Amino acid sequence: MDKVYRWMLPCLLGVAVFAFWMWLFPQDLNYQEQNQLFLFTWDYLGERLRLPGGPADWLSEFLVQFFYWRWAGAMIMGLLAVLLQRAVWRAAKHAGVPGHASAYVLTLIPSLLVLVYQGDVEVLLSYPVALLLAVSLCPLFIKAGWHRLWLLPLGCWLIGPMVLLPLVVSVIQGRRWADFAMVAFAAVVFYVEYRLLAQQYPLRDALFGLNYYRLVESLPALQWIIPIVCGVVILLCSQRFSLTRPVPAAVIVLLLIAGGTAWGVSRTYDRDSQETLAYDWLIRNRRYGEVLRRARKYQPRNAVSASAVNLCLFLEGQLQEHFMEYYQCGTEGLILPSIRDNLSDSPSAEALWMMGMPNITLQYSFDLQESIQNGRKSGRFTSRIAECNIVNGWYDRAVRYLDILEKSLFYSKWARERKRMIQDESLVMADPYYSYIRSVRFKDDFITNYNALDAMMAILYNQNKNNFMAAEYFSVWQKLKSVEEK
Amino acid sequence: MTMKTRFLLIAALLIVSCTGKTVLSDQLPDIYPDYIGVTIPVGIAPMNFNLPEGYDRVFVRVTGSNGGEIKCRGSYAGFPVRKWHELTAQNAGGTLSFTVLGRKDGEWTQWRDFIMYVSDALLDDYGITYRKIAPGYTTYSRIGLYQRDIHSFKEEPIIESTLTPGQCVNCHTPNAADPSEFLFHLRGKHGATLVQKGSEREWVTTKTDSTIGNVAYCYWHPGGNWFAGSINPVRQCFWTGHTRTIEVFDLASDLVIVDARDYSVIADPRLTTKEYLESSPAFSPDGKTLYFCRSVAFNVPAEVEKVKYDLMKVSFDPETGALGEPETVIPASGQDRSIAFPRPSYDGRWLMYNKADFGVFPISHKESDLWLMDLETGESRPIDEVNSDFSESFHNWSSNSRWFLFSSRRYDGLYVQVYFSSIDSEGHCTKPFVLPQKNPRKFYGSTLYSFNVPDFTSEKVHFDTRGVYETVFSDERIKASVKE
Repeated sequence: MDKVYRWMLPCLLGVAVFAFWMWLFPQDLNYQEQNQLFLFTWDYLGERLRLPGGPADWLSEFLVQFFYWRWAGAMIMGLLAVLLQRAVWRAAKHAGVPGHASAYVLTLIPSLLVLVYQGDVEVLLSYPVALLLAVSLCPLFIKAGWHRLWLLPLGCWLIGPMVLLPLVVSVIQGRRWADFAMVAFAAVVFYVEYRLLAQQYPLRDALFGLNYYRLVESLPALQWIIPIVCGVVILLCSQRFSLTRPVPAAVIVLLLIAGGTAWGVSRTYDRDSQETLAYDWLIRNRRYGEVLRRARKYQPRNAVSASAVNLCLFLEGQLQEHFMEYYQCGTEGLILPSIRDNLSDSPSAEALWMMGMPNITLQYSFDLQESIQNGRKSGRFTSRIAECNIVNGWYDRAVRYLDILEKSLFYSKWARERKRMIQDESLVMADPYYSYIRSVRFKDDFITNYNALDAMMAILYNQNKNNFMAAEYFSVWQKLKSVEEK
Repeated sequence: MTMKTRFLLIAALLIVSCTGKTVLSDQLPDIYPDYIGVTIPVGIAPMNFNLPEGYDRVFVRVTGSNGGEIKCRGSYAGFPVRKWHELTAQNAGGTLSFTVLGRKDGEWTQWRDFIMYVSDALLDDYGITYRKIAPGYTTYSRIGLYQRDIHSFKEEPIIESTLTPGQCVNCHTPNAADPSEFLFHLRGKHGATLVQKGSEREWVTTKTDSTIGNVAYCYWHPGGNWFAGSINPVRQCFWTGHTRTIEVFDLASDLVIVDARDYSVIADPRLTTKEYLESSPAFSPDGKTLYFCRSVAFNVPAEVEKVKYDLMKVSFDPETGALGEPETVIPASGQDRSIAFPRPSYDGRWLMYNKADFGVFPISHKESDLWLMDLETGESRPIDEVNSDFSESFHNWSSNSRWFLFSSRRYDGLYVQVYFSSIDSEGHCTKPFVLPQKNPRKFYGSTLYSFNVPDFTSEKVHFDTRGVYETVFSDERIKASVKE
């Protein structure tokens, strides 16, 4: 019975986490995938290995590329949650003699806390990967004794500051005064590695992990709370204690954990942000009708969601008649001005591309990619940049981006096809997509001006009456403008 | 099968595999980068090159006109650094002859030999500095100042944007290639100008009540007590066509002189007018003249194509900081052209500048070329030896003024690379070569960075990153004042 229980719990956890990502928040997987571009090159590997925590980061980016397939992403997340739970239990067994199975329930806490933390979409997968590796190192650190003198610098390079977790667990578990010297040694190791490998980063960032969180100048509390909780759970589970009614206790603890997780998820998974991410994900996958269905139920009141919904309305042939049935926020809700973040302009860039403004699309796509704060590239945006260059006939430039994409897993085939295409101009012209955009794009060269975007739409329509999108957007722009002016 | 038979069979197989037919071609090899006929300095990093795609093996033999030989083979031509240096030293003033064989689809081709000239003009600077930035638009994720040893392939960061998140690192400006005095400006919420003299480092806010902002693009006075800087809120806009993408322009632009001893600012009303845009300052090597560019101000971006800069100069008294009356050196606007980045050679013989159709950011102008002015005769000419059909923009002189570098977009029209050329006493320039890389096609074909505002550095730049983050974000600054 005990054995069944010990396997059932992680299986339940894995299934729950899989379902969580597969059906509740698949847009987050898309967001993670589109904010990195894993390349199978030595240079890419070398770049990651140069930093403390780089190997864990490389491993996590390798995994994140599979988020291109929603089911694979959900499976990876489920697997990581289970592995973390198993690692915590294994660490607890090495740290002492665990008591009754009721303690086993506690091992779910780190995995579920990570799930809660991942409601913040800027948390990188490097974080749970580093945490998993750190917990997995606990048994080794507990047994290692003075071998920790070389394990610590190695671990610090492998997983970053998360290596403090196995060190602290081993020190507390050992209860030897001499072990506390290891903490001082850890401080020296950190500083030396910082000066050697990360001196182009603030010391503060290096101390809290360079690769755990996408945004700079931010340190979410859960980032350091989770490893502490993890250590506490390991030490708690390693204690022998007996309960008079262990089974009800386990059930109560399980219910408390489930309730706490649900509460945590409701706090960290912001509905507006999630809906906005979902629109972007659905537009990427050309599921325009689904965006409208979601928006009818609930639409965030922000310009990004408005621009996404308006684009989908047009593509579903409903813009003119139905746009006022959805949330609107003036002309910005039709096409956003250039905003320096890695999401907001995404639906607008899509609309500008389809309308025949490849240069502004190029600008928006480039800025979207360059706004990824940890300096990563994006397969999705790089592809669009390459396409803009193809439409402009700048094949030399396009090749550079296609070469990069060719070294990825999921964009490689697409890039190879485009490379073949640009060898022969007739193939480019035969492509319905590119030839259409070439046919509707500006014929004259003049400087763009966001404030005169409606005039630019009018120019597009006047030079090619087949450009219905420019006409409809122009018309709706005028209506929204008059509403704004009133 | 006897041992003897086996041996004979293996020997026959080896002979067959090693004696593939070699096709002799009377064409020059199509190498990348185009190093055929370039002039190089002694001790430059090995001029490695690639054959076109499809060639999986290359064999190269280099022989010097004064003796010496090195060979290399591999997937690209990569020469060992030490042997290469020895060969170039042995052949200073002579030539290096390259015999190149390439293998494609199992068949070897040997092309006509080509030569490189080894100049007897020294290039003894340590290396170059540059800013690496993704070219194009308004946002950047990673940006940084770097130094590259031009005698090897070693590149090191001076400062990267990861150290000062959210702040844009502007260009590194040494005093006549001497890194013991340098400055750079950080743009952003915690913007400041860093001035480092020897081991002393100061963070300065150069904005005063009388000026429109912080200095951005600077040039040191040769004496080291002053630097001139343009204050220019830069903006970008975008074209709709498929011949050009971006236009960079100044909303306004003034020129000030900063006393680097007490950070007092001379804001001369003649160089801080609203009617004119003043930019691109550069002192003459004797320190008595300040060159700059000036255009009538127009309503930008609507009238951006009307902004055309003349080359101007004004006398400067290094003792008092007094400025004379501005004079026009080249009235480019009258010729419907625009001048940018005047850079006098440090020996006072030449003045190099950019000429484009309009504006003061020639990097985004395909028609922008390098021009050379003879400061003895006042005559100017386009440097056809180095210009291309694409944009040539920022340029600078080596410490001994026998070499110059410039940035060019000739590779693909977008990504900027650094090129080198030498100049003789008559002003003749040699065919330029791109900054050597270990595997050039791989490097230049895959990098997503442009090499921005390159300059020589006579020594390695020493910049300690410790405390930079704390100081920048503390906003503790020396505040510049207006000079009485």
